[in-house]
Amino acid sequence: MTTKSEIIVATDGLTKRLGGRTVVNGVNLAIGRGDIYGFLGPNGAGKTTTIRMLLGLARPTSGHIRIFDKDIRKERLAILRKVGSLVEYPSYYGHLNATENLEAVRRLLGAPKSRIDEVLAIVRLTQEARRPVKGFSLGMKQRLGIATALLGNPELLVLDEPTNGLDPAGIQEIRELIKSLPRTSGVTILISSHLLSEVEQMATRVGIIAKGELIYQDGIERLREQAQGRIRLGVSDPEAAWQLLLSYGYPAEWDRTKLTVGQADDRTIAGIVSRLVQSDFQVYRVEEEHASLESIFLQMTGSEASL
Amino acid sequence: MLLRILSAELLKIRRKLVWLLVLAGPLGVVGLEALAYALRFDYMIRPADSAKMWSDLLSGIGSLALPALLIGLAIVASMTAGIEHQMNAWKMTLALPVKKRHVFAGKFLLTALLLFVSCVLLALFSLVFGLTLGSSLGLHGSVPIGGLLREAFYPYLAAMPFIALQAWLSVTMHNQAVPLTVGIVGMIVSLFAGSRFPDWVPYKWPALLNQWHEPLYSVGAGVALGLVVFLVGMFEFVRKDVK
Repeated sequence: MTTKSEIIVATDGLTKRLGGRTVVNGVNLAIGRGDIYGFLGPNGAGKTTTIRMLLGLARPTSGHIRIFDKDIRKERLAILRKVGSLVEYPSYYGHLNATENLEAVRRLLGAPKSRIDEVLAIVRLTQEARRPVKGFSLGMKQRLGIATALLGNPELLVLDEPTNGLDPAGIQEIRELIKSLPRTSGVTILISSHLLSEVEQMATRVGIIAKGELIYQDGIERLREQAQGRIRLGVSDPEAAWQLLLSYGYPAEWDRTKLTVGQADDRTIAGIVSRLVQSDFQVYRVEEEHASLESIFLQMTGSEASL
Repeated sequence: MLLRILSAELLKIRRKLVWLLVLAGPLGVVGLEALAYALRFDYMIRPADSAKMWSDLLSGIGSLALPALLIGLAIVASMTAGIEHQMNAWKMTLALPVKKRHVFAGKFLLTALLLFVSCVLLALFSLVFGLTLGSSLGLHGSVPIGGLLREAFYPYLAAMPFIALQAWLSVTMHNQAVPLTVGIVGMIVSLFAGSRFPDWVPYKWPALLNQWHEPLYSVGAGVALGLVVFLVGMFEFVRKDVK
């Protein structure tokens, strides 16, 4: 839990059943002010359904949602006034140009007209403002979607899979854009993705959802700690070496392909090596092995997860 | 708030064919009637006076306008709702700080407004055609403004249940084939409704026929039922999860 800052989004036992299937099951989100919250999970894990409930687009079967300390059921409009969102693939009116698309939303928000040029500049679409949106590339449409979300000067920005379907350059661009936002305007961002690598570079907190259940929620550093490396030893006859090391009390592990030692300081490693050499093992390699966040993510979300 | 929604809706249909349809409907109806007169002009029985000419003209236009109105309202409703369906914009619109019932009301009002514009055009075109015909027949008399307005707006008001129904179906269903089918079937039913159906069948109302020979009864019933259908539709829309 974020204790130092105020919690902006809090859900309590959030559950949604659709056609007899529990799509979201007892999710307790906690997002603090100023967080960039990475909401992760494989496709179909319940991310979008959760986000739809946060925005009042879908009703929870049970559980509560409080945003800005207000109940979404009772004060939906007051909450949405301070929220900007982009849900899944971009929504736009293809026959209108970028400015008109933003104007259609601006009229509903009652934001000042000058805001349109501001958000176009933020997402760098000023040059393209007069072109019909149906001719835009997916990346540009997605940027227009973000511009739309920013139109009302939101305190909370909800972006559901904003880089889905983009090429690497587009992903990079959106990522840079998102990273630059909280610094410039102090917003809290909830960003969902099925790719950890995409979120890890910008998120300050991470929630991982799988099969509708939130299986992890903490700072990104905690996740990184879990991903800390092990020392891999390349030796002749590793199985015998493993038994030898165990007999001397070293935390060695042998999984039939590689011999590894968990986090150990330099002296321990030196001790291990000299012990192996003294026992006539040939030491080929001593190398640090980093478990990727990706593999931890895979472990958490289960092997059948599609990534 | 409703005004803001309506202004956004009007912006969204910029450069859309729906405006063309709004113009083409009444133009087609009056044009068709003009064509009928032109073809028969030589052997047409010359109306006795201006009043007779106008009443013939208006009843002729009225009978053509009725199916055009009933099919037109289905198409217009489908097009205005289709703007959101096409690009999956419902989730964007409804995640904005607007009341869901206002969004629904906005779509209904937009449809009703566009059809109203069509009816105004119908009255205008009828007026122009009537004046032209009158002068070419050498008949001069006052223009029956009341009759003209009745011809243009009574069926529109009596068709309010169908405007509400089509707006509701078009907004809530992603597949526009369903509301369009309902609209087309409705138009066909209404063509035969005049003589065969009892007065309480709404499909009879836009023809303004009832046993009391009082068009205003049909208009009143239409507006009342239209309001009910609108409210039921709005309630259902608000309750439903957004796709």
